[in-house]
Amino acid sequence: MLKKYSLPLILLLSLGLSACSSNAKEDDGNPKVKELTFLSNFPSETLDPHLNYTAVRAGVNETLVKINEEMEIEPWLAESWTTTDKGHTWNFKIRNNVTFQNGEKLDAEAVKKSLERNIEVSEAMKTALNIKEMKADGQQLKIVTNEPLPHFPSELVHPNTAILDADEKDIEEKPVGTGPFKTASFSPGNKLELERYDAYWAGKAKLSKATFTFNEDANARTLALQSGDADIVYRPSIESMESLKNDSSIKTDIAPSFRTHLLMYNTKDENLKNLHVRKAFDYLIDREEVASSVMAGQAERAEGPFLSAFPFTPSYDKKEFSIEKAMKHFEHAGFQLKNGKVLKNGKPLSFKLLTYSYRPELPLMAQMLQSEAKQLGITIEIQQVENIDEYMAKKEDWDLATYSLITSPRGDASFFLNTAYMEGGAINPGSINNQELTSKITELNRTLNEEQRNKLAKEAVSLIDKNRFHSFIVHPNNFAAYSDDVLNWKLSKSEYYILTKDVDVKK
Amino acid sequence: MKRFSSRLMELVLFILLLSFISFAFMKLAPGDPVRYILNIDDVAVSEERINELREELGFNDPLVIQYGKWLLQFIKLDLGNSHMTKQPVIEELIEKLPATILLTVTSLFVMTIIAVPIGTISALYKNTWIDHVSRMFALFGASVPSFWLGLLFIQLFSVKFGWLPSMGMGTIQHLILPALTLGIAMAAVYVRLLRSSLLESLGQDFIRAAKARGLSNGRIFFFHAFRHCLVPVITLFGVSLGSLLGGTVIIEVLFSYPGIGKLVVEAIVRRDFPIIQGYILFMGLFVTVINSLIDVSYRYLNPEVRLKEGRS
Repeated sequence: MLKKYSLPLILLLSLGLSACSSNAKEDDGNPKVKELTFLSNFPSETLDPHLNYTAVRAGVNETLVKINEEMEIEPWLAESWTTTDKGHTWNFKIRNNVTFQNGEKLDAEAVKKSLERNIEVSEAMKTALNIKEMKADGQQLKIVTNEPLPHFPSELVHPNTAILDADEKDIEEKPVGTGPFKTASFSPGNKLELERYDAYWAGKAKLSKATFTFNEDANARTLALQSGDADIVYRPSIESMESLKNDSSIKTDIAPSFRTHLLMYNTKDENLKNLHVRKAFDYLIDREEVASSVMAGQAERAEGPFLSAFPFTPSYDKKEFSIEKAMKHFEHAGFQLKNGKVLKNGKPLSFKLLTYSYRPELPLMAQMLQSEAKQLGITIEIQQVENIDEYMAKKEDWDLATYSLITSPRGDASFFLNTAYMEGGAINPGSINNQELTSKITELNRTLNEEQRNKLAKEAVSLIDKNRFHSFIVHPNNFAAYSDDVLNWKLSKSEYYILTKDVDVKK
Repeated sequence: MKRFSSRLMELVLFILLLSFISFAFMKLAPGDPVRYILNIDDVAVSEERINELREELGFNDPLVIQYGKWLLQFIKLDLGNSHMTKQPVIEELIEKLPATILLTVTSLFVMTIIAVPIGTISALYKNTWIDHVSRMFALFGASVPSFWLGLLFIQLFSVKFGWLPSMGMGTIQHLILPALTLGIAMAAVYVRLLRSSLLESLGQDFIRAAKARGLSNGRIFFFHAFRHCLVPVITLFGVSLGSLLGGTVIIEVLFSYPGIGKLVVEAIVRRDFPIIQGYILFMGLFVTVINSLIDVSYRYLNPEVRLKEGRS
C-alpha cells in the first residue's frame, strides 16, 4: 500500500520543494523586472536613518554632503555651502530639483525639520552637529553652531544626518527620503524590500526592485551567494575568497577600509612615558606577518592612522620589524641588556596588554607581540576584556592595548585627532597630552581653509608618528563577492553607499 | 482557587526577584550604554559629554534608585524604550516573539516526528540492528554542533539542489531548514529518553496486569506503556521549550531568521539594557507558565499523581 503511493509522494514533495527555489528574478512572468538581492553583515533593527545606516546604504535616504571614492567631500542634496564667520554660521543652498519619494518638494524648511528631528532622537548627532539654531528661506538654510566648527560639512557626511520627510509617520519602518529607491516593506532584522523611485532627481535607477537582507554569519553569506539567494554579498568568509575568485560566475572586489588596527600605549605608565620604549615596541610589531597571516592577506600594512590616499596623510617613515633595533631602543631607554634579555634594575620587564574578542584578529595580534617580546625576556600578560573602552577609561592598571577604529569616517582628520589626542577625548585613555600636538589640533579646529587644514593635519600626524603615541598596524580590507550578472557595482571605501542608481543586472 | 492564588503570588514574587537580580547583574557587568548611544567610534566625543549624558539618563544614581525607577515604570506595564531603536521594549519583543515561537513549535514538531517513532521502535526491538542504528543516530545528533549541521543543510538543500531558501523568513519553506536543524539536534536526546522510559514502563506490574486482563498489545502499548513513559518526556519537553526559546539564537543568526534571540544578542552587544531586561522577564514569565501547565498535565498523564493530590 505504502509502496504504491511512495513514488508519487516523493515526486510531489520534490515539486513542492523545487517550487520554493529562490530563482524568482523573472517573477510575475515579466522579464523586464530587474532586481537584485544584497546580503550584508550589518544587522538592522530599525530603518530610521537617524539611528541606523541602512536607509542610506540602500539608497532610500541621502545626506546633504557625501564623501566620494577619491576621499573628497562633495555636494549631494546641498548644492553648495559657505561660511561667513570662520565656521560659526553656515549657509547651505539646497538643490532645487529634488522631491521626496512622496512627491513633496525638498526645500530648506524640510531639511531644517529633518535636522531638528535628527538632534532630537540621536544624542550622538546632537553632539556632533552642535547646532544652536537654524533658519530656512526657500532653498537657503542657515545653520548657526554653538561654537565654530570649520569641519561642519564633513559632519554632514554621516549617514545619521540623512534627510527625510519629518512629517511622515512610521519613520522606523518606512522613512521617506530623496534617494533612487523607496521602501516597499521592512522586516526588522530580516529584510528590506525596495522599489525604484521613478522621479529621482539624478535620473531613474536601472534596477526596478532590490532586496537588502542581513546575515551575521560569514559562511552563511557565502553559501547564499553560491545558492543564488543573494547577488551581492558583503564580507563573505575570508577563507572562501580564494574559491570564490576561481568561480567564473562570481566576481570579487577588495578595497582597504578607513579602519585601522593599532597598539595603544598608556603614557601614564612610567616605562611607556619613554619614547624609546614605545619605539622599541613598534619595532616588535611584524606588520607584514599580521597582514598576511592574522588577516589572511585581507589587510594593508599601516604606517600611520590614515590611508595614504587621504590629502592629510604625510609621508611616513616605513616601519620595520627588527628585534635588534627594539633592543637598541630599550638600551637607549636606560634598560640593561644581559644575554639578549632586557632588564630594568636587574629585573625582567613585564607589561599588561588589554584586548577584546569582538574583533578576533586583535587577540591574535596581541599574542604575536607577546611572542616577539618574549625573545627579549619581556613578559606580556594578555587580558581579554569585555568592554575595552570602559576598562581603559576606569582603570589605570594596563600598559598596552590592541584596539581598532575607523580613523577618518567622513574624509576629515579632525574626528580621530580630537578624540584620540586631546585631553578628555573619548578615545584617549592613555592620557596623551602633548603641548605641540594639542596646539596643532586646536589650530586645526579653528581653521577653515581646506588646504591649510590638510597641512595642519599632516603636521599633527607627523608629530604622532615621531612620538609613537600609537603604533598603527594594519588597515583591514573591505571585501565583497557578487554574481557575474551584476553590473556597475563597486565596493565603497566608506561603506556608506551600497545601492546606487547605476547598479544594474544583465538579465 | 486557593491553589491558584498561591501560584499567582509565587509568580509575582518570582518575577520581582528575577527582575531585581537581572537588573543588578546588568548594571554591575562591564559595558556602558552611553558610549553606544553617543556612538564614540564614529563621533568625536569628550569624556565630559559622556559623563554629562550618564548623569542625564540617571546612570550615575545608586543601583536601588535606578531599580526603583524601573519598577515604578514596570508596574504601569512600561518596560521603557530601546536605546537602539527608540521604540517601546514591549513592542519590540512582541514583534519578534511570534517568529521565535513559530520556529520553536516547528522544531518541537520536527523533533517529535523523528524521536517518537525511532525511540519507540528502538525500545520495541531492543538490542537488534534497528536499536543500534537509532542509538547511533542519538549519538550523532547529540555530538554534532547545530550551526555545523545548519551549514551542511544549506550546502545540500540550497546550494546543491536549490530546493530550499538558505535564509530569511516568509514562507513555510523558509522554516524547514532551521526547524530541521534544531529538531534533529533535540531529537537525539528524546530518542534515548523515550527508549529507556518505554523499556522501564514495559517492565512494570501494571503492564503485566493489563496483559493478564487480556488487553490487546496495541491498547497496552498506547494507553498504558506509552502514556506512562510520557511523564519524563513531557518534563524534558518543558525544559526544552524554555531553552529553545532562549537558545535558538545561533540558528536564527545562521538562517538570518528574525527572532527574539537575534534581537537580544544585538541588544547585549550594544548594552541596550531595557531590551535585555524586558527579554529576561518575558522569558521568565513564559517558562514559569509552561512549567505550571506541565505540572497540571502530570495529573492527567499519571493517575498516581492525581490520587496522591486527592489524598493530601
